[in-house]
Amino acid sequence: MDISTLSLARAQFVASLSFLAIFLAVSLALAWVLLFFKIRARWSRHGGWTAAYRFWVRIFALAFVLTLAASVPVLIQIGSLWAGLMDKIGNVAGPLLGYGILSVFILKSCFLGVMLFGQRRVSDAAHTLAVLMVAVGQLVAVFWVLALQSWMQTPDGALLVDGRYQVYDWVKVVLNPSIGWRMAVVMVGAALAASFLIMGVTALQALRRPLGEGERSAFKTALVVAVVGAFLQLPVATGAGQMMAQLQPAKAAAAAGFWESGPVPQLVLFGWPDARAHTNVADLTLNNAGGMWLHRNPDGTYQGLDKYSGMLPPVALTFWSLRVAAGLGLLMLVVACVTFLWTFRRGMDPSSLPTWWQRVLCGMMFSGGIAVVAGWWVSIIGLQPFVVNGTVTQSEVLGSMPASTVLYGLAGYVLLYALLLAAFAGMLFHAARYGVVPVRKLIGGAP
Amino acid sequence: MIAMLAASQGLSPDDPSFWMPLAFMALLFVVIAAGMVLDGFDLGVGILLQIAPEHERGRMMSLLSPWRDANEFWLLLGMGLFAAAFPFAWGAVLGKLYGPLTFMVLGVVLRSVAFEFRIRARTELKPRWIFAFWAGSIITAFGQGMLLGRIATGYQSDAGYGWFAMFVGLCAVAAYVLLGASWLVMRVDGDLQRRAANWARHAIRWTAVGMVAIAVTLGLANAGIFYKWSNIAHLSLAASVWVLMLAGFVAAEMLLARLPGRADRFSWLPFVLTVALFLLMLSGLAYSLFPYLILDDMTLWDGAGALGSMRLVMAGAVVGIPVVLVFNILAYRSVFGKERRPVPLLPPPSY
Repeated sequence: MDISTLSLARAQFVASLSFLAIFLAVSLALAWVLLFFKIRARWSRHGGWTAAYRFWVRIFALAFVLTLAASVPVLIQIGSLWAGLMDKIGNVAGPLLGYGILSVFILKSCFLGVMLFGQRRVSDAAHTLAVLMVAVGQLVAVFWVLALQSWMQTPDGALLVDGRYQVYDWVKVVLNPSIGWRMAVVMVGAALAASFLIMGVTALQALRRPLGEGERSAFKTALVVAVVGAFLQLPVATGAGQMMAQLQPAKAAAAAGFWESGPVPQLVLFGWPDARAHTNVADLTLNNAGGMWLHRNPDGTYQGLDKYSGMLPPVALTFWSLRVAAGLGLLMLVVACVTFLWTFRRGMDPSSLPTWWQRVLCGMMFSGGIAVVAGWWVSIIGLQPFVVNGTVTQSEVLGSMPASTVLYGLAGYVLLYALLLAAFAGMLFHAARYGVVPVRKLIGGAP
Repeated sequence: MIAMLAASQGLSPDDPSFWMPLAFMALLFVVIAAGMVLDGFDLGVGILLQIAPEHERGRMMSLLSPWRDANEFWLLLGMGLFAAAFPFAWGAVLGKLYGPLTFMVLGVVLRSVAFEFRIRARTELKPRWIFAFWAGSIITAFGQGMLLGRIATGYQSDAGYGWFAMFVGLCAVAAYVLLGASWLVMRVDGDLQRRAANWARHAIRWTAVGMVAIAVTLGLANAGIFYKWSNIAHLSLAASVWVLMLAGFVAAEMLLARLPGRADRFSWLPFVLTVALFLLMLSGLAYSLFPYLILDDMTLWDGAGALGSMRLVMAGAVVGIPVVLVFNILAYRSVFGKERRPVPLLPPPSY
């Protein structure tokens, strides 16, 4: 067997980041959904919102635990797989990573314990405040991480001097050109991941038994979030795509499957990009429609992959990750709209849906999560062979460990992630079926 | 001494690019020490789960519960501080430790998930999560020992050094068992305390072997460290450290042999002694390496980020330290002393 250390390292890093991305998306969005449930429970007198809060706070807790645990491998791999990376970007990445971890620490130590285990011990207002702060804290932590991640895509505010980035303007580093769209993509993705999860679980419950007040309330909220999120995808995807065309032409060309530079290009809907022949096999195209997503040279031609010989991202993987993300996005838009039109005259009650459509919603339970992962793949696989766009390549920062060691590591991680995913799904379905029993945990020095 | 150190770097003592890395190093040392001791007893109790009788396992895990949130954060906090303050050393150090780190991380992830999932799992699945917590604890402890073995031998990874790292890995498991068991001795009464004292006595020998092995190897494998310790001024210091460690081990062993029983009043002492031994070893290691992060290759000033980045990190630290301190003081204020069990309202059923 002859796989290079580099490809194994890439696989390992992508696997760890994907695992983190799924649960980060779910816990990020669920925190805000829970805040909404909590506020509704406080100001409206009917009991459904409390029940909805109680059930979904359990799923949030599981997702948060997994997010926190999954961030450790990613952090360690930044140092141990890409051993030379911090030597180059340490001045930028050090403070950003430090702030990210500090934000998580503050949110977890000050507020999460109160939110999960302190409901009886503090006043209702204080508990609501804790829920709010957990939601805000997660957003802040995600912001620091994305600031670093988007800076690596579109570096700004720092200069490469003697092989090391030196920062001259921190505001430009943090508010780099792509942070806005990146944040938007992640937030919309998270909203869809959580809302389709809630709708799927509620539909599953509706298939088995009559729904309670809480489940109906949760479904109603999730449906509205799904519809709004699915429509927001359109401007966000357009904006992020044009940003990519402007600042990361190689990634844009790979995502579009555009091989030869030239005038007004076709838009390739489907096909298989063949990296040897530099052409797309069995493609389905729209004429003259692809220009919007590609980098335009001053002479009016569009930049294709031929400009980047030897420095190409894996074209087929980038191309298909984007199509999976976009396809799932459109599918979610259709499903959300149909469900909305079907139910909005009946109080958005999922039990008024026909059985087969409830099954469709069950089937879509993880579609948001998968779309989030596909989106991350476009972002990080499309960046290859670089880690910092245009300046630092992955192969020059790769550590010096033998391929076999990385292979064992990869096997260990995949095994662990599979086990944890199965455990999460198992606990989710068990909770959906039998409900949740509140747990107690002694925290903070109580006897 | 500070002035001398500053002069060796060609900086003045009140220059931020001199004192900031030093301050971060001190902080990092505190975080590592806290993590080793506080996450350590957690780890030790985890390793003991599978040899404990089945009906005690759930209780042992709930004993850890009040500090779990605080314990599990030391690693992340240490990593964050290291990455933020010494970015240029981060890859250089971690890149040499891929194998042991992967081992440790797999264990850390498994145990932190297993602990939280066990609380929320249905009853018939709880034993599986206890098993996972146990497995994660062993893997973490072994990985940390391998890390230490690698660092002590100057990051060499030839076959012989590999076996040494594995040996230290096993000793680290024993050391954490000692820490966990002596914490249990302090924390509980009755049958579990008797068992814990027994476990601790088994573990204490291997802990001693491991610590001696680390100390000897550190000197023999790194000429710089051997030179540092072997001049006259340091020989007396070295001797007193050895005497202290020997006294610590003997005292702990003698106390454990008398527990439960005559030494009941001092049931907290083995834990305190073990903690002192851990800290002594860590200080010895830190003193041996100082001011290098990688011996004879990279000092902490080489590893520190640019001044602008350090200022930002310092600003974060000024906000963060009070929060961390207050939270931890609240969290750990009752870590010493006996478990207080709820008073049963009904007489316990007679078996």
